[in-house]
Amino acid sequence: MRVPYWLMAPSLVLLAVIVFLPMLFAFYISFTGLNENTIGDWVHAPFVGLKHYVDGLSPKGPLAYSFYTSIKASVVFSVATTLLILPLGVGAALLLNSRLRGRGFFRAVVLLPYILPAFVNGILWRLVFMNGSGVADQLLAATHLGSRETFWLIGPRSLWALILADVWASWPFIYLMALAALQTIPGDIYDAATIDGASAIRAFRHMTLPLIAPTMGLAIALSTINHFNNFALPYVMFGPTPPDEVNVLPLNIYVNSFITFNFGLGAAMSVVALVIMLTPAVLYLRAARVGDTD
Amino acid sequence: MGVIAARRSPPRVGGWWRYALAFAYIVFVLLPFLYMGLIALQSDAAAGAGDILPQRPHWDNFMRIWQDVNLDLYLRNSLVVATITGVLSSILALGAGYVIARFRFRFRNVFRISLLATYTVPGILLLLPLFVLYIIIQHAIAIRIVGTYWGLIMTYMTFALPFSIWMLSVYIRSLPVELEEQAMVDGATRSAVLRHVTLPLSVPGMVVTFVFSFLLAWNDILFASVLTSPQTRTLGPGMQYYVSDSFAIPFWNLLMAASLVVAVPAVILFLLVQRYIVTGLAAGSIKG
Repeated sequence: MRVPYWLMAPSLVLLAVIVFLPMLFAFYISFTGLNENTIGDWVHAPFVGLKHYVDGLSPKGPLAYSFYTSIKASVVFSVATTLLILPLGVGAALLLNSRLRGRGFFRAVVLLPYILPAFVNGILWRLVFMNGSGVADQLLAATHLGSRETFWLIGPRSLWALILADVWASWPFIYLMALAALQTIPGDIYDAATIDGASAIRAFRHMTLPLIAPTMGLAIALSTINHFNNFALPYVMFGPTPPDEVNVLPLNIYVNSFITFNFGLGAAMSVVALVIMLTPAVLYLRAARVGDTD
Repeated sequence: MGVIAARRSPPRVGGWWRYALAFAYIVFVLLPFLYMGLIALQSDAAAGAGDILPQRPHWDNFMRIWQDVNLDLYLRNSLVVATITGVLSSILALGAGYVIARFRFRFRNVFRISLLATYTVPGILLLLPLFVLYIIIQHAIAIRIVGTYWGLIMTYMTFALPFSIWMLSVYIRSLPVELEEQAMVDGATRSAVLRHVTLPLSVPGMVVTFVFSFLLAWNDILFASVLTSPQTRTLGPGMQYYVSDSFAIPFWNLLMAASLVVAVPAVILFLLVQRYIVTGLAAGSIKG
């Protein structure tokens, strides 16, 4: 049968114009000194070669502090959040996959934080952690665990504020993936195990866990990527001048590109971000198993 | 198999503590929403001072947000942009999704993998060159792109389109091919089959891609904060503007009321496509 390529043409052309070419262009920009002043005559924007990469990545480079601060913040944030939501999500999935009265209600309610738009989530937690008047400081004062003058949106505690806000918003992602995996396990294998006298914990370790492991691998890879690329939450919580601890790469790139208009530097940092995410990206694409089934 | 009851009922473990645990999860999830709701009903002064329980509910806050936060304009802009993004990506993706689902051709797998790979690309890596390109085009020919609906919609396509193609190809693959073959045998042309057989059957799949693409635009702040003007500002940058950029000190009771209003369409649409969420998640949709 002849393949009706014409049906794909509109999508292919559009993807080439808005995804493929811009990506190539971004690589090119990262080797230039393109900025606010040179954009009018961009063809003649100075070619600076690897300057931005050297400035940022060589330990003594003028931008090394900014680069490494952001890389560290992004890695710590995405790994810590993923590690924390993993048990929360799998636990809820195990619980809500078992017989439970009102299960439908529970299943719908636990999705709510995940559905909330990320910028709304940011506004909410910005208020929660607001110095003095936020509920976090009020709770600390009421329980005598800390003072009402505990700062969450500036200084080193900001990392915990960001992690907590994102844990609350994103754990249902792990729950959904784990629940989907659990639902493909036929119930009779447990009946057999129960007859054999296996305890619940042993049944989980030796039967459930191996069966959901591939899906969880996919979920971990995707979660790491999503948190690493999360711009909305840190941007809304901390604004364009965040504390170092939460100055994650997307935020740093945004400031360099769209506030100081140093496009060359912003592009170079984006390329670095892409390279850092290559490992989880490859794991994700392998776990998604494209081309395995057909 | 014949075991109907056994399919979705793994072993019963424990008793009351499972309900206690479920209750703990519910409290963890709902407390922040309760906080939002309480602050949303607070008076201006009490919200500023951080009082949690309102003296009396100020329901009029939900009327004031339309003018004071300018939610009226932002909501309208978001509705227009998100709806067009959803419709366009679903229609454009149908053809490509169909071809991937039904035909084998060179580079088919390369194409499918690149669709998924798009999701690992940081949004800002695409926004930056697109913004530069838009500015260059604006300089070369006098067409305004930055600050218009179309510039923003086109930029959302970078993520909405690959996802929609992927989703529709999965969906169409699950449809029986026999109906199309029968129509071909009966002498229908390819485009007639597409129009009268495949298209009507694909509508549920297109509803799903519409919702996901709509939410992508509805929930976005990154692209919109760079590509909108004060007239085309959507919800994300609009509320951020009210929080930090406007000259007045923000009223947090109004912000919480606006937040709840903004969340409602997202919740309704999300629950509508619940069945397809996991396929969507695996393709990396929604949060990116």
